[in-house]
Amino acid sequence: MTDRADALIVGAGASGGVAARRLAEGGLDVVCLEQGDWPDRSAFPGTRPDWELAIRRRWALSPNVRRLPEDYPVNHDDSDIEPLMYNAVGGSMIIYAGTWPRMLPSDLRVRTLDGVADDWPICYDDLVPYYDAIDREIGVSGLAGDPAYPPHADYPLPPLPLGIAGRRVAEGHNRLGWHWWPEPNAILSAPYDGRRPCVQRGVCTSGCAEGAKASTDMTHWPRAITAGARLITGARVNRITVGAGGLATGATWLDRDGVEHHQRADVVLLAANAVGSARLLLLSADDRHCPDGLANSSGLVGRRLMMHPFSVVTGWWDDQVEGWQGQFGASVTTYEFYETDPDRDFVRGAKWALSPVGGPLNHILPMRAGNEVWGADHHALMARTFGRGASWAIFGEDLPEESNRVELDPDRTDGDGIPVPRMHYRISEHSRRLMAFHEARAAESLEASGCGDIGTASMIPYSGWHLMGTARMGADPATSVVNDRQQAHDVANLYLLDGSVFVTSSGVNPTCTITALALRTADLLVRSRRRQEVPA
Amino acid sequence: MSAAALEAERLRRLADVMLPAAHGMPSAGDVSAIAAYLERVLAWRDDLRAPLARAVADLDPESFTVERLAAYHGIDEEAYVALTTVVAACYYLSPVVRERIGYPGQVAKTYDAFAYTAWVAEGLLDPVMERGPIYREAP
Ligand SMILES: Cc1cc2nc3c(=O)[nH]c(=O)nc-3n(C[C@H](O)[C@H](O)[C@H](O)COP(=O)(O)OP(=O)(O)OC[C@H]3O[C@@H](n4cnc5c(N)ncnc54)[C@H](O)[C@@H]3O)c2cc1C
Ligand code: SF4
Repeated sequence: MTDRADALIVGAGASGGVAARRLAEGGLDVVCLEQGDWPDRSAFPGTRPDWELAIRRRWALSPNVRRLPEDYPVNHDDSDIEPLMYNAVGGSMIIYAGTWPRMLPSDLRVRTLDGVADDWPICYDDLVPYYDAIDREIGVSGLAGDPAYPPHADYPLPPLPLGIAGRRVAEGHNRLGWHWWPEPNAILSAPYDGRRPCVQRGVCTSGCAEGAKASTDMTHWPRAITAGARLITGARVNRITVGAGGLATGATWLDRDGVEHHQRADVVLLAANAVGSARLLLLSADDRHCPDGLANSSGLVGRRLMMHPFSVVTGWWDDQVEGWQGQFGASVTTYEFYETDPDRDFVRGAKWALSPVGGPLNHILPMRAGNEVWGADHHALMARTFGRGASWAIFGEDLPEESNRVELDPDRTDGDGIPVPRMHYRISEHSRRLMAFHEARAAESLEASGCGDIGTASMIPYSGWHLMGTARMGADPATSVVNDRQQAHDVANLYLLDGSVFVTSSGVNPTCTITALALRTADLLVRSRRRQEVPA
Repeated sequence: MSAAALEAERLRRLADVMLPAAHGMPSAGDVSAIAAYLERVLAWRDDLRAPLARAVADLDPESFTVERLAAYHGIDEEAYVALTTVVAACYYLSPVVRERIGYPGQVAKTYDAFAYTAWVAEGLLDPVMERGPIYREAP
């Protein structure tokens, strides 16, 4: 291909899809290169009885377990958390849970308020119009008026059902005087935009065959393509190319037969997620312009990786609550212990989300809380727990540390011979104190909600679903990779759209903010396109 | 008996120790779990074939107990995981077993999306609202 696009996007996932639609509808000629394929909803395993087997291999959350041709391995030998993602049109949204919280105002001012990490160069109010807009584009179900947030516009759809467990936990929190609220989810509670509502099957993280859970293959790409965007699948980018003037000129990519192509463009936008985009910037090093990686004069590309330490506290009642059923996603959330409290031995906090526990296999071969028991006792355990539980999923705010990082593996390559990312990541002592406090409070919550048995799975490694921070935003080129418009300080026509730009992680699931930011960047680009510097 | 049939027979006997008839539940053998579902399970999990064969070769059904199984975890974890995954997956694919534990599968349900108005009206959120805002103002 030799044509030159106005905008080249790498990655057709959450942020890439959102930006492609805005740019194409704004009149730009958009090309997107995506290593994966369009998802085939009829192949999603959730309606099959053997669904729980499928999620342990073909539909695993980790590319290292799935090992599909479109996946690239990630070396996490030196990481306390294993990275999870999906590579397809729609990106990791194909297997995400769909909880859709916004950040809170304090999340963007951690340095000012708590004296740690850094402030963002933008504030909560800058995000609000984009949060409102993205909620409409995605089709979010929720209830406005949560006192954990400043007042904001209502969600387009009513909240999803609380379910039996959600109702009990809500009542438990009322008894404790603790905050709770129905979780906003990017899952339809009623028909919307030609899509069908959720049927509560509870298999969201192996793909929603119903199409109720939002992913950009449904919510954004069809409109982007109608507006003229060209989406090339099976296209693995291996380098961002740079011209004599130091501007990006496009990207080289490999097709499924290993043949290399070059796509030229005026502007390049990376949306390959915080691991994939950092990898690409590092792969694009060149001796003349950027020996340490593209846009990396600060040395921060790949650094400050954040993934949210994650614990699960499960409670079991004496009776059936159909604990395998319901959005996964979450029914109820709490921000009771989210904000800093000077009486605790840590700053910042965590958000909790109440979710189902899964089917029989997840009870007896638990990926979360619980024990394996065999022999006659096995049946007694199942009788006591199956269908009777619910889990608090706890996402702790992960403070950035430069030693937590993604770099290129000097030894291992993917199926195309491209070096794979290698992670170094340690859960800090601070995070461990934070998580221990929250696990204890979550157990109290479930006890107050009537659970007899409670089990904790503390800081489970298989939980790297939130990838953030490897190309942080900031005003100073010496200490950040992109500016407040997500434009690389070093390369004026290179933008980062994904969670790599996060300055701090907050304690909430990131995709609502990732997509609001991607929409903002695309919107600002459309509005200022005449002033955009482009290669000759 | 062919080697494959011998292996399946040993596996069937191991499965009966792991999942015996008790507490009103059938044994793995009672529902022919291995005979009926082994191939289907391995179709999803071809990667388990080799470690499963190892477990079946290592563990003698004559002297097999749940204590032996627990000890085997420390000897060959991969084979242990293969064995427990396959046995559990076969057992819980049986419609008899599913019915007995009250599991209809991950079924579709309809609901009234506006039912929340009832619990709001009933005052479930009132204590939360009455406390007022709990977020921190930020500059
Ligand atoms: C199991 C799971 C559950 C989750 N649950 C939630 C949740 O409940 N709420 C929430 O907010 N978030 C959740 N997340 C996180 C959410 O999925 C991500 O935050 C979001 O998808 C990130 O968007 P992105 O655009 O940065 O990247 P992605 O959506 O990951 O998309 C990146 C795309 O880039 C492509 N790509 C990468 N490298 C290349 C290359 N070299 N060439 C071409 N293409 C490339 C990939 O194939 C992929 O399609 C979850 C994630 C997982 C895995
Ligand atoms: S519970 Fe709802 S969102 Fe989740 S997979 Fe089922 S229909 Fe989709």
